[in-house]
Amino acid sequence: MYTRGLLATLAVGLLLSAQLPAVAGSAFPYHLVRRIALPGTGPVHALLFDPRTREIYAAQGRRIAVFSLAGAPLAVRRPLAGTVSALARNGAGEIIAAVRSPAQLVFLSARTLTVEHRRALRAGPPAALLYDRSANMLFVESRSSGSIERVDPRSGQLLGRVRLDSALGQMAGNGRGTLYVANAARDALEVIDAGAMRDAGSIALHRCPGPGALAMDTIGRRLFVGCASGRALIVDADLGFTFVRLPIAGGSKLQAAFAFHPWGAHGWKGGAFFAGSTAVSAIQMQAFVRYRDHGQLLLPTPCTALALAAPVGELWLALAPPSGGRAVLWVLGVDRSEVK
Amino acid sequence: MSRCVTVWRHLAWCALLAVAALSQARARLAPWPALAGKTVLFVTGGTSAPQPNDDALVARHLRELGFQVHTVDARVSPSATRGAALIVISSTADARVLGNKFADSRLPIFTWNTFDYPNLGMTGPVLHRDFDVIDPVQHYADSFSVLYGFGANITSEISRAVGLRPQLFGTLYLEPETAGWGDPGPGGTVVTDFFGSRHYAGVFTYEREATLADGRTAPARRVGFYLGSDNFHLLTAVYGPAAEDPNLRHWAIGLKLFDAALRWAASPPPPESKYDPGALDATLRQAARGKKLLYVERVNGGEGRHSDAHIVAHLRRLGFKVTVADQTAPQSIARGMDLIIISGTCSKWKLANKYVDVPVPLISLEGLLSDALHFSGRDRYVDYGEHGELLESVDPPENYLDIVGAWSPMAAGLKPGLVKFTEHPGVLKWAWPLPDAIVIATLPNEPREDAIFGYPKGARMAGGFIAPARRALLPLDNPSYDQMTAQGKALFDAVVLWTLGR
Repeated sequence: MYTRGLLATLAVGLLLSAQLPAVAGSAFPYHLVRRIALPGTGPVHALLFDPRTREIYAAQGRRIAVFSLAGAPLAVRRPLAGTVSALARNGAGEIIAAVRSPAQLVFLSARTLTVEHRRALRAGPPAALLYDRSANMLFVESRSSGSIERVDPRSGQLLGRVRLDSALGQMAGNGRGTLYVANAARDALEVIDAGAMRDAGSIALHRCPGPGALAMDTIGRRLFVGCASGRALIVDADLGFTFVRLPIAGGSKLQAAFAFHPWGAHGWKGGAFFAGSTAVSAIQMQAFVRYRDHGQLLLPTPCTALALAAPVGELWLALAPPSGGRAVLWVLGVDRSEVK
Repeated sequence: MSRCVTVWRHLAWCALLAVAALSQARARLAPWPALAGKTVLFVTGGTSAPQPNDDALVARHLRELGFQVHTVDARVSPSATRGAALIVISSTADARVLGNKFADSRLPIFTWNTFDYPNLGMTGPVLHRDFDVIDPVQHYADSFSVLYGFGANITSEISRAVGLRPQLFGTLYLEPETAGWGDPGPGGTVVTDFFGSRHYAGVFTYEREATLADGRTAPARRVGFYLGSDNFHLLTAVYGPAAEDPNLRHWAIGLKLFDAALRWAASPPPPESKYDPGALDATLRQAARGKKLLYVERVNGGEGRHSDAHIVAHLRRLGFKVTVADQTAPQSIARGMDLIIISGTCSKWKLANKYVDVPVPLISLEGLLSDALHFSGRDRYVDYGEHGELLESVDPPENYLDIVGAWSPMAAGLKPGLVKFTEHPGVLKWAWPLPDAIVIATLPNEPREDAIFGYPKGARMAGGFIAPARRALLPLDNPSYDQMTAQGKALFDAVVLWTLGR
């Protein structure tokens, strides 16, 4: 299971973190505290923070690596059958890897990454996973077939499917049986009744071309949408009403993450982060109805995945390898004395 | 030849009157495509506008609705309105700089510049009393209250366009916000209000020819809207599955109200009315022919007996099939009728609550029935009352009315201002109806004592009562009919004609 060579490479990468680049945009709350060079030249497609074990999982190509929050490599899973496009953790603590080809879900034990079982997917290569912990629902998105499947989070058994005929982006669940999916083709959020797996309508996103990034607060009332044009919309999910628009760094491959109290009880009430090809942007939740943009941090290469490790105040970014180089993980931390 | 032309003109005028009186009595909203391409003069604060503001968003929205938008600042010359179809005034424009430059404009005006309301004559001049701007700095607590509007009027074109109901709705999104209110004059129509009182109108209108708060006549349509400078983007709306929920759909109507009010302002008003008793008489004859009318009076009463007889004779001459009933007759007698007129000779006590809920158009000539008929509240001499009654009124006898709703066919084409109603001062009744009522005339110098008004079918009346058919008040005390002037008789006929409509 453990690959000694890879661990050595990761350890070398950790040492590189001594040289930290300057942070652009003084208002951005995080700064770079560690940089971890990864062994392969392929991009990291998925990052997952496990709040129970406080470990980070990174899927790079066919491999999955586990890191401690200090950045120490703990384990690397031997290559799976195909490229891992997404990771999730179910209520039992298993890690679920979505493999593109052959399209399947692989259920792994946490930390040791032992394969527990596999389940083939029929809707096509999976592009994203979402585990809605409150509703105990697991969703698999296939962008090639434009469909969302709801599967049993333990067995992977198919429970329902809804076909959406467009370019899909990130998913978010409200914990009460409603799933939202960004649809860049229609500039809308698709709303799915996850219980019946039926299309319940769509929320038009005015003046938001190419919405791809989507996150939701854990209460399930606010949707954070990243538009390719460089706007973040904050949508009241109860009304489908966009009540805040703030500038972010745009791009076609934005990803979003949200957390309440991203660095503890005395920091922000909440923070939404949008990472794309040039920068990561921060939106501060001051109150449920009040938000402000909190600057951007420029990135040397596009971000391919992000994960918030809110309990420890960290934001992890996977950066695409530069030409001829290796993929890098950036670990962003916060100076608590500066963040009010 | 010339006689033939005159006859044709006469007939055309009759047709116009009939259409106006018997249909909705108010012009319908123009469809959006008919407004596309029209130019809006959008008056903003320009470079002096407070920041942040939503003027750019509003301009964009107007363009999305199909208007050509010409943005100017408050220093604009009134001549810049040439070629425009509508003036839209943002609250970012300095009302002191605007002054009264648009007050006489014959273009419709849609404004959320609350401090400019007095300049336009839309409210009185006194801050806090006649108009106010609630903002989270000066009025923190009230700035929560203005998040909740009330559908005060459910039958105006704007109300119908948004499906406004007599209930609360969300005006702006969720945070304490800046919003303005105005207290329009009796010629205005309150569409929505704040704080549980029609005096705090959030959305209100004046039809062309309506009497403004300052006594002048509206040269074109006027709309006041509650918006602040930077919260257009917070006007409520609902999208996605939530829009399938009728409660949410009727709650988040801020943007729909804005659009409907804008559309109403830009739509053509009803044609200007013309005082022509002959044409009115001919139109009414046409409408009355064969219609069944129940005239309720105190049969064999004393005072007013002759007036009743003359009114009935007049109605029969018009072509109505009149049934005369005593005030004590059961309500069932109204079945199958097309119109009910309750005479001023009736005793309120004896009439009891009859005819209140009957789905037949009804005219009351007795103002003191206003509470029983849900025309007004129940506080006698506060919500309704009378002038000139020796022992019951502190107000002197009166024989003039002040026309404030000249635009309505109920006004018989009479121009705004005082009109001699009866030859000699006497008893005149009044009531203070709810905002759904179309007010035609008040008593002179008493802007809230309304003498002639009508509720459309479906209107919200006092006590939450919904009008089952048209209802109207015409203040004709017992013997007054025989003393009516020609204008007074024209008003009588116009009210009968309007009430007979649907």
